Amino acid sequence: MALAPAALALSTAGAIPTALSPAGGVHTATQGIRLDLTWVDYLMLAIYFAVVIGIGLIARKRVKSSVDFFLSGRSMPAWITGLAFVSANLGATEILGMAANGAQIGMSTLHYYLIGAVPAMVFLGLVMMPFYYASKVRSVPEFMLRRFGKAPHLVNSLAFAVSNVLIAGINLFAMALVIEAMLGWSQWIAILVSAAFVLVYITLGGLSSAIYNEVMQFFVIIAGLVPLTIVGLNRVHGWNGLVDALNKTESAKLLHTWVGTGFGDESNPIGANWLAIVLGLGFVLSFGYWTTNFTEVQRAFSAKNMSAARRTPLIGAFPKLLIPFIVVIPGLIGAATIGNLLADPDSGVTYNEVIPKLMQMYLPTGVLGVAVTGLMASFMAGMAANVSSFNTVFTWDIWQRYIKKDMPDEHYLKVGRWVTVIGVIIGVGTAFIAAGAQNIMTYMQTLFSFFNAPLFGVFILGLLWKRMTPKAALWSYIAGIIAPTIVFIAYQVSVANKAPIFATATSETLYGAIISFATVLVFAVVISLVTKPKPVSELTGLVYGVGKIDVTKDHVAGDTKWYRSPALLGTVALAGCVALYLPFL
Amino acid sequence: MSENKPSGSGSTDRTLTAEQEELVKSTRRFDLRRILGALFVVYGLIVGITGLVTVGATDELKRTGGIAINLWTGAAMLVLGILFFVWDRLSPVPAEDIVKSEEQEDEERKVGEAKA
Repeated sequence: MALAPAALALSTAGAIPTALSPAGGVHTATQGIRLDLTWVDYLMLAIYFAVVIGIGLIARKRVKSSVDFFLSGRSMPAWITGLAFVSANLGATEILGMAANGAQIGMSTLHYYLIGAVPAMVFLGLVMMPFYYASKVRSVPEFMLRRFGKAPHLVNSLAFAVSNVLIAGINLFAMALVIEAMLGWSQWIAILVSAAFVLVYITLGGLSSAIYNEVMQFFVIIAGLVPLTIVGLNRVHGWNGLVDALNKTESAKLLHTWVGTGFGDESNPIGANWLAIVLGLGFVLSFGYWTTNFTEVQRAFSAKNMSAARRTPLIGAFPKLLIPFIVVIPGLIGAATIGNLLADPDSGVTYNEVIPKLMQMYLPTGVLGVAVTGLMASFMAGMAANVSSFNTVFTWDIWQRYIKKDMPDEHYLKVGRWVTVIGVIIGVGTAFIAAGAQNIMTYMQTLFSFFNAPLFGVFILGLLWKRMTPKAALWSYIAGIIAPTIVFIAYQVSVANKAPIFATATSETLYGAIISFATVLVFAVVISLVTKPKPVSELTGLVYGVGKIDVTKDHVAGDTKWYRSPALLGTVALAGCVALYLPFL
Repeated sequence: MSENKPSGSGSTDRTLTAEQEELVKSTRRFDLRRILGALFVVYGLIVGITGLVTVGATDELKRTGGIAINLWTGAAMLVLGILFFVWDRLSPVPAEDIVKSEEQEDEERKVGEAKA
């Protein structure tokens, strides 16, 4: 098969949940992945959405304050927040995009999980969550405010709010394309129906609705993908059959993760050496996404106490370790069985559509309904995650902080609901614009992926170094957004001139992230040395070594059980990463 | 760590007021595990029955390479659904957690109102 690394249009790191590029060329008018659903399948779809609305109605009864609406009243148990944490990232765009990567670059896709996610989740749980949760901040931008003051807080809040609402719209459009191809609904019906469901259940129940649905979606999508993987493996005569089939073609290298990642021998499909993969994907991109993206971290903030908050990303790490087996392996099965079809741009089936295509080929009515429901649910959950973090940051960090201070709590609850409505409407507008200008959307998507890396740079330095000043935070953050933008433009220009400065778009992202992080460090250190830091007395609990955080203060019954120890959970998750690499070196 | 009691028993050392009893009951009624359990039992039945009706249908077996995937998936989902109910039964949300989080909320609301 023609493995064209440059064709990794599927955007960037696995850490970024928008792996399905709308411009990825999902063919619209063909019968390529049209599914043959019966009334049984539609019945399951209908039941699911009835339950979704039901959850919204139940959750509404519990929403009495803004903390209920935006943070589920900080009352969720760890297993729920943990699954929601991983599920908020398991949007359908992520699933389809990672399966496409599985078909294109094979087992190297494991990097996105084992290097690009799990270590950062462990770091969040063990190191950063105590600072976040103990400081009682209600959002990630609010942590910025407490540590560095208003100017960087405002920039951070605006960047987050704007990018999230637009990402919601871009995802909505990606969803409409796939739904149109699978079910034959027109794009605008798909957009309006899904937006309406998200609007109803988030406006009713706020974050609780979002989280409950994320957990439900998690189980349903797994119930759809597991049978697909089993049937797929059966059809290629088991794992050995799959390996044989791939070895017969030139795609044997799809079975390896680290082959061809040496300096000077960058023949792996990502087109970057091991150091760039580890630093760019494993450190900057993934730590940036998992530890500072409020859409993720919000799930942990809703946990009932410190112990549950710390365990949220750690519990999420375990499903994250196993998901590649029901996402990447179907991708490999696709490469082995319909690789030629996927690689042919005129076939009507793209890499992004490998999972729907396998569903069409392998799943009979019944299980097919479960799989379709799971995909639709995860599309919506992805959008709901963006909307529910957008309304929180807009209401608390922008409206309450800069526009209408000191209003009674009911005011902010009401604003939160209206902001949800406005956010969804802007999302729908964005989706329609995306339909008309797909390239612009791809560029914006890439642009937003630049927002997390510098934020992580600012936070990690600010956590470790009490001398870091507010001015340093502001300007290094801005410089850290501008630098990778310049690199990205330079790469696009060099591609247009047929002399690309990076091997693939993915490797551009890795180097861009590293450059962004380095820019932050340099600017932050230099500016800090010539400006005035905040007095140490204001930094208690916000900087490592200043004040002490008691992580056991709010323990409740059972938190001290040995199997609930964060250190133990983190260690086992990291050991799992190493173990899962071993068969696929 | 003074509170080192087994979780899940739902026991608590304080006696609850009638109002708190009601709160505990209503919180437990809509435990996510019950919703998940119900969804999976229903899905398991639908998929399983579909499998029974179409058992041996050549189309299904041709697609799956000989596995009666609907029967297997239906059974697995049914079992999973029942397990959610069992888990909910064996370890309901501790009453003290529910009461505590309600009290905490009341406090936060008061703090919020004092600011106003």
